[in-house]
Amino acid sequence: MNTRLFLPSVRSAKNRFFLTRSRLKVILLGTLGLAICTALFVLTYLSVKYFHSQSELGIILSMKIFQMAWITIFAMLIFSTMIAGVSNLYLSSDNEIVVSAPVRMIELFHMRLYTTFVNTSWMMLIFTLPVFIAFGVVFKAGPLYLPLLVCTIPATALTACGSAMVFVIMLVYLFPARRTKDIIVYLTICFGVFLYLIFRLMRPEDLVNPEKYGQFIEYMSAISNPAGFWLPASWTADLLGSYLLDRQVDLLLLGLIVVTPAVLVFLGEFLMARFFFSGFSKSQESFGGNYRFREPGKSTSPMLWVFRKERIAFLRDSKEWSQFFMIGALVIVYLYNFKVLPLERTFGSVYVANLISFGNIGLSGFLAAALAARFVYPSVGGEGGAFYLIRTAPVSEARFFFYKYLFYLIPFTLLTLILISVSNHFLQIDGPMWWISLFCSLIICWTVVAMALGFGAIFADYHAENKDASMGPGSILYFFCAITYMLIILLAGISPSYRLLRAWFFHRDLPFTDALLIVAWIVSVLALSGFIAVLVCRRGVAAIRAK
Amino acid sequence: MSEPSKPVLAVTKLTKQFDRLTAVDHIDITVEEGEIYGFLGPNGAGKTTTIKMIAGLLLPGSGSIRICGHDMKQEALACRALTGYIPDRPFLYEKLTGSEYISFIASLYGSGTGSSKQGNAEQYLRLFDLWEWRNNLIESYSHGMRQKLIMSSIFMLDQPLIVVDEPMVGLDPKSARIVKELFKSKARSGTAIFLSTHSMEIAEELCQRISIIRNGSVIASGSVAELKAQATDGIENLEDLFLQLTGSFELQEVVAALRTD
Repeated sequence: MNTRLFLPSVRSAKNRFFLTRSRLKVILLGTLGLAICTALFVLTYLSVKYFHSQSELGIILSMKIFQMAWITIFAMLIFSTMIAGVSNLYLSSDNEIVVSAPVRMIELFHMRLYTTFVNTSWMMLIFTLPVFIAFGVVFKAGPLYLPLLVCTIPATALTACGSAMVFVIMLVYLFPARRTKDIIVYLTICFGVFLYLIFRLMRPEDLVNPEKYGQFIEYMSAISNPAGFWLPASWTADLLGSYLLDRQVDLLLLGLIVVTPAVLVFLGEFLMARFFFSGFSKSQESFGGNYRFREPGKSTSPMLWVFRKERIAFLRDSKEWSQFFMIGALVIVYLYNFKVLPLERTFGSVYVANLISFGNIGLSGFLAAALAARFVYPSVGGEGGAFYLIRTAPVSEARFFFYKYLFYLIPFTLLTLILISVSNHFLQIDGPMWWISLFCSLIICWTVVAMALGFGAIFADYHAENKDASMGPGSILYFFCAITYMLIILLAGISPSYRLLRAWFFHRDLPFTDALLIVAWIVSVLALSGFIAVLVCRRGVAAIRAK
Repeated sequence: MSEPSKPVLAVTKLTKQFDRLTAVDHIDITVEEGEIYGFLGPNGAGKTTTIKMIAGLLLPGSGSIRICGHDMKQEALACRALTGYIPDRPFLYEKLTGSEYISFIASLYGSGTGSSKQGNAEQYLRLFDLWEWRNNLIESYSHGMRQKLIMSSIFMLDQPLIVVDEPMVGLDPKSARIVKELFKSKARSGTAIFLSTHSMEIAEELCQRISIIRNGSVIASGSVAELKAQATDGIENLEDLFLQLTGSFELQEVVAALRTD
């Protein structure tokens, strides 16, 4: 294989690393990554050990979770590779250089496949290893477990990426519509595939719903059956599962797992040589250029124009539209999980529902932080070369920053309100927990949006060619800080919330000390959140001024 | 009797349609060995679309493109190996250094001669005052430096055909002069240059033949003298001729009115 096309990405990564500041960042993030790996290992170890120490059902359930983890990761990889694949194959800026050079399509396919594979799978490769190692430790796996993991994790990830790339090439070739339509159609299909994999293959709700089955034996057989044997992820789960339980390596499965990526690479090479150029040529044709928009309004308010600019820059960039589908998928999966929770059957207690509602604050905060990392964080760096307009205009950086914050605050607040009120409705929550979850979620949401904007400004890369490229290590740092902040708020809130709920459950008056504790918690949440938001935003504004 | 020079680029009945818009409509162009051919036209006339098809970046709707006798449809790789393409807004890898970029391009076109091509690059980098900057990241280069780097990377390849879209954008007068002289010197050594430009001065100074395109069709072609001969009385330079042919001659009246204010 000719490796010349890998030179820019390899050298760019090397040059990035050897810049002093970046190296420090990499070391910092490496340490942070190691800490996360350790935490993942410990958490998985404790949970799997708990299941494993139960009866035979516990072992089957833990194996089912093992299988589900593989299928979920596989589905997510396919979905993210499809989105990354279309932009890497067809919309990359360096296509102008590479496609106009005498480079064979097969070589181009290898480069795009492996760079997409690394970009979309590295996190999965690193963070799944401690999870699966923990399974190995609990099950006291044999000596071949680790070599099997090292072989099957990349092979399965490459199978996911390879199939997604093959799908992308065929899809862009088969739909003779122009670029915008291609992307819409393509993403709709991706979205459908993703939801299908999540809901149909795994049926997570069945695990906690034995009453669905007439006999207990049916339930046992349903959960111990492999899900979707035609799915490469379940081959891997079955291979490792049978080795964990019986120390037997199914050579047929191992062969399938190793050969499938090679077959997909051959298939991809063939399809690339046959169909890529036609799709690439179409992808450059017309991009809404002929569409006439209506006259803009007469408003001269800078705030309204910043709002309008942000809104139309997002809505008119079809590369951003994929995000709608991702948010849609996230919200549906999120709320669906609450809908199918068999509260009355499995737990049967208002107390547990309130506990889940409290945990839901963290979940909605996590979602807000993840979405802010994708949308808010790159919004300052995403101004790119046009940022001089703001710097030279008589609008202060702080004011511009505030307008941006207000703009993103509205959709994030709405999303949080929807997530919290709908999930509380499914959980049949009323009383103080409704207000606690609403208060906490909104405060967390507003703070993480401010943090995303601040970190985004501090680490802004105005030279990045697109928003994806502007998501450097700073976004990961932001994300970890946001999660830490949320954990502090939630951990500090456990005791006051519990006391308030206890008084409400038993229709007692709230003791004075408890009331004082609750007030102190509310004040500290407000003070800490305000302090973090203002501090990070000030740093962000200072960073903008310095650049 | 001297042998007629061979056509390096032969474009026949080239057409490209985007939805209902015909961006390029049955264009015929022939560029001979050692010839600098100018491609002029107002904004949105179809120049860049034509150039992208010649560079192998867009599929033609119909018609053919032959480079040194190779058909773009049948032998795309051979055509690309023979063509150097300099876009008007080039993409460069920000985190590579100038030298790394040059090595990368040499490897793409190299086929075993990459090192000799990189050797060629040195003279161009020195000419453009980029030699001292060759080991700096491209992200620190100015717009003109980027343009000079991409030109160096194409000039070093010594291909029989160079296709250039707006060659002088962002260049300082010294670099612009060097580029003009390089084009002339390349042409003397047999390279065919197909250049699209808005600058009448460049076209008049450099090009042996010119085609003017409007709404996707070639409305006039020939040498500057031949084009002037086709024009009505009172046309003294290429700019007037261009304005007349592209239907913008009424602009002269606006200019005259502005000058009398």
